[in-house]
Amino acid sequence: MKRSYTCVICPNSCFLDVEIREGNVISVSGNQCGRGREWVIGEVTDPRRNFATSVKVRGGEMETVSVRLSSPIPRAMIFPVMAEIRKAEAKAPVHIGDVIISNVLSLGCDVIATRDVAAVGM
Amino acid sequence: MERKLTRFSFDNRSICSIILSMTDKDAFDFIVIGGGVVGSAIARELARYDARIAVIEKNPDVVDETSGRNSGVIHGGFAYDTGSLKARFCVEGNRMMDSLASELSVPFRRTGKVLVGNTEEDRKSLERTMEQGAANGASGLRMIDGRELHEIVPAVLGSFALLSSSSGIIDPFLLTIHLAENAAANGVHYYLSHKVMSIRKEKDGHIVDTDKGSFRTRWVINSAGLGAKDVSEMLGFSSYRVIGSKGNYLVLDKTMGALLPLPVYPVPSNTYMGIHVTPTIDGNVTVGPDASPTMDFSYYGVPQEKIELLENSAGDLWPHIHRKNLIRTFSGILPKLVDENGAIQDFRIEIDDRIDSRAVNLIGIESPGLTSCVPIARHVVSLIAERETLRDSSSFNPCHPRPIRFSELSEEEKDDLIRKDLAWGRIVCSCEMVSEREILDAIANPLGVRTMTGIKYRTRSMMGLCQSGFCQMRIEQLLERSGLDADEVEYMYPGSWVVKGKVRA
Amino acid sequence: MERDAVIIGGGPAGLAAAVALHGKGIRSIILLEREASLGGILRQCIHDGFGIDRFKESLTGPEYASRLIHEAEERGIEYRTSTTVLSISSERVVTAAGADGMLHIHAKAVILAVGCRERDRGAIAIPGERPAGVFTAGTAQAYINLYNRLPCHEAVILGSGDIGLIMARRLTLEGVKVHGVFEIQDHPNGLERNTIQCLDDYSIPLYLRHTITDIHGSGRVEGVTVSKVDDRLVPIKGTEREYRCDSVILSVGLVPDNALALPLGLDVDGRTRGVSVDENLMTSIPGIFSAGNCLHVHDLADDAALEAERLASSAARWINGDLLDSCAIPVIPGCGIASIVPMRISGKSDVFFTMRPSCALRNAVLRVTAGGRTVWKKRISRALPQNMLSAEVPKESLSSVSGPLEVTLS
Repeated sequence: MKRSYTCVICPNSCFLDVEIREGNVISVSGNQCGRGREWVIGEVTDPRRNFATSVKVRGGEMETVSVRLSSPIPRAMIFPVMAEIRKAEAKAPVHIGDVIISNVLSLGCDVIATRDVAAVGM
Repeated sequence: MERKLTRFSFDNRSICSIILSMTDKDAFDFIVIGGGVVGSAIARELARYDARIAVIEKNPDVVDETSGRNSGVIHGGFAYDTGSLKARFCVEGNRMMDSLASELSVPFRRTGKVLVGNTEEDRKSLERTMEQGAANGASGLRMIDGRELHEIVPAVLGSFALLSSSSGIIDPFLLTIHLAENAAANGVHYYLSHKVMSIRKEKDGHIVDTDKGSFRTRWVINSAGLGAKDVSEMLGFSSYRVIGSKGNYLVLDKTMGALLPLPVYPVPSNTYMGIHVTPTIDGNVTVGPDASPTMDFSYYGVPQEKIELLENSAGDLWPHIHRKNLIRTFSGILPKLVDENGAIQDFRIEIDDRIDSRAVNLIGIESPGLTSCVPIARHVVSLIAERETLRDSSSFNPCHPRPIRFSELSEEEKDDLIRKDLAWGRIVCSCEMVSEREILDAIANPLGVRTMTGIKYRTRSMMGLCQSGFCQMRIEQLLERSGLDADEVEYMYPGSWVVKGKVRA
Repeated sequence: MERDAVIIGGGPAGLAAAVALHGKGIRSIILLEREASLGGILRQCIHDGFGIDRFKESLTGPEYASRLIHEAEERGIEYRTSTTVLSISSERVVTAAGADGMLHIHAKAVILAVGCRERDRGAIAIPGERPAGVFTAGTAQAYINLYNRLPCHEAVILGSGDIGLIMARRLTLEGVKVHGVFEIQDHPNGLERNTIQCLDDYSIPLYLRHTITDIHGSGRVEGVTVSKVDDRLVPIKGTEREYRCDSVILSVGLVPDNALALPLGLDVDGRTRGVSVDENLMTSIPGIFSAGNCLHVHDLADDAALEAERLASSAARWINGDLLDSCAIPVIPGCGIASIVPMRISGKSDVFFTMRPSCALRNAVLRVTAGGRTVWKKRISRALPQNMLSAEVPKESLSSVSGPLEVTLS
């Protein structure tokens, strides 16, 4: 099977033609550099994503704190991880980089805060 | 939400129970149905006398229909048939507008206006208009040549014009709101978001049933604008023919206001002013309205072809209408009383003793209703005064205090205010430079209006270039802080929720 | 008070300008921000993908902002938040309202870094009713990410700009049904990465050559009518389709914020719609500079920050009393170029040009010409309207130029 991709690594946006057999990449053409090849193989065999959302904060200057994952997870795990994040709660003060959920769903990555949320007197 | 949508069902039993539960405080001498510019002017004129008065308004604010959906022009009174109420009240309203606007602290400018012509036929038509104006008692009318026209408005296309120097522009929102707030300050009760369902005659007056309860009153004054025909039928008046005339508008940003010192109109026909361009009191420009008949009095959609029509026809008059300056569209509907042939009739303002000797019926109150609001109100009072003696109230105060607009103050005044109250230094809307203090004061308005547009029309926030991109979240939050739940904040009409609760509860 | 530099706006451009000015030895700096905290629009852009050029890693917006804020705070740069600039005079007096009352700052240099605003419904004249629930993508983003408020349950997105694509994903993650993204052009308007990771990943359809031709609902949005458009972008009768939704999210372009520049009388460029600047990023009034999205809309926060750093070099020279070269040579965007910055050059210095291609091209040549003569050229393997192009042209190529300079891409 042949599939085409547009490389997202740099603004050159190479059109990549990929030959795939039984889920494995047989050949890549159209790429101007090695990073494109590496990217498209990952995209075909094991697409991974990071994503951002927010977690409820108690006693903070804001009601939520923005979070991301410490490393990308398999694309299919986004919604299961979202369900975990919805249940989570942090207590102010929250600091950028704080681990909100560690090793979420045993995926080997953490949910971490991406900003500070100061505490307010309650 | 569920709670708000609940409506009373009007089987006999529930009506009885409502009446039984009515106390004296629900009993009025006068109930005005409709709180728009005319209804509020009537309530305010009545408040000069010793009486218990209420206004029942179906919308959450007093400017949600025709009173807030128009050109904001104070007309000269030349365009209406000599001898008509429209001509008489318009001329009177025009004359009193300086004192009314100053009493009520409403921004008003006698800019004058021009009706622009090109052909011999246009000239004849404008001369006829001028003669009619003279007969109506309109002042300040004269023909001007192309040279003078272009001195007044360099950017206009046209060979000559009729200049009406007494015409002007006003903030139609604040005129209506301040009439209402002044009425309220003088003891008039406002019942907003109350829709009249039926009116029953009693020995000594009426019971007005609304979707939120019933009110006893001696007099009913029907000033329901687009709803006046329905109310008129509830009162027992024979069916009038009222058709809607829908007009669409474009709003241009403030950079265009500098090119338009006064309203520019084409040559009018007998019944329609034509698509014109008008500066607003705050320096924007409105383009419109077109006019098309409608029987749907609540559909304010602006269709694509009307946007193009407005751009093209007004462009022939004033060639400065560009998409990049367009910030908004809106529309309004005028209730026009017509005869069996469809010919547009004069304002109808009547008491018919055979039908109801304590009901004043106002039908077909359309343009020039904004200009004529107080003369109409005084006429209504005079009709009432023919039937019963009205005693002057000792406490009536006609003045509405001027709301402080931070953006209009001197540097020293701004500094003073911020030092007294930090909320003056927190700018919520940075297009129109509206401070948090002004928003909070608007939220605390005496009518109890808590909609987003209620805040907008009172403060000009959300009206600028970014059209609320920067400030609407802050205003929503301030409304929540005033006691509304996130789900309860509404934009304008019922059901216009802004956010659906919290992302993380 | 008096300062060497007043920087207006605490987003990526303003913060980067402050840090870079400090790096050039300018110590008397004050930065004014209208929001309660620094960071600008980055605060609400919680997704990642920022900082690949400047910090060599992919950061979320708040993380990127916090790095810049940290740099500024480490240097002890003075700033005031919740402070709104009301006016600037041509004598470089900045008047602002804030918690301490009115501020009047006399400055040697005023730096405009106030960002851009989103085009909204009026600007593109979408027909229909005016119910609640029509939001710009940035407003919806602020509600969700900063205010913890959900703006809708079922949305249609108009325009495929990056924020619209990002919001399609963000809303979907929060359980909002996104019916699709409708784009009037024949190509998506955002970065390719976003089309893949925000739409394809979530099976959100992208409809090219479609637009909204009617919005329904008197209270809240109840639905929209969508139509196909022809080559002239005019809706085609008979192609209407109805969607039930309670929200319309608009991602239909950004416009430089000129609210302070216009009353000051600064020249505005008809193409970028920001102010007109010379190679020093100085506006038509001496001592007033501009960079970032209020100069022209960038694709990446990095680009805005890097531009502000270039601005700091020339502003520092100006503050130190060096005469900047007068820039009398106009720069004209020619064939293939929709807009270009700067708009005037001296011919005596290297010039960093930033431009937006007007159409997609492969294997094109970027040419700088004067009087029909090519003075400099560069091969561009792929040009897209949604990706800004930049090129540094050495002064040697420009020294012989006297008349207008034209830049073309073909």
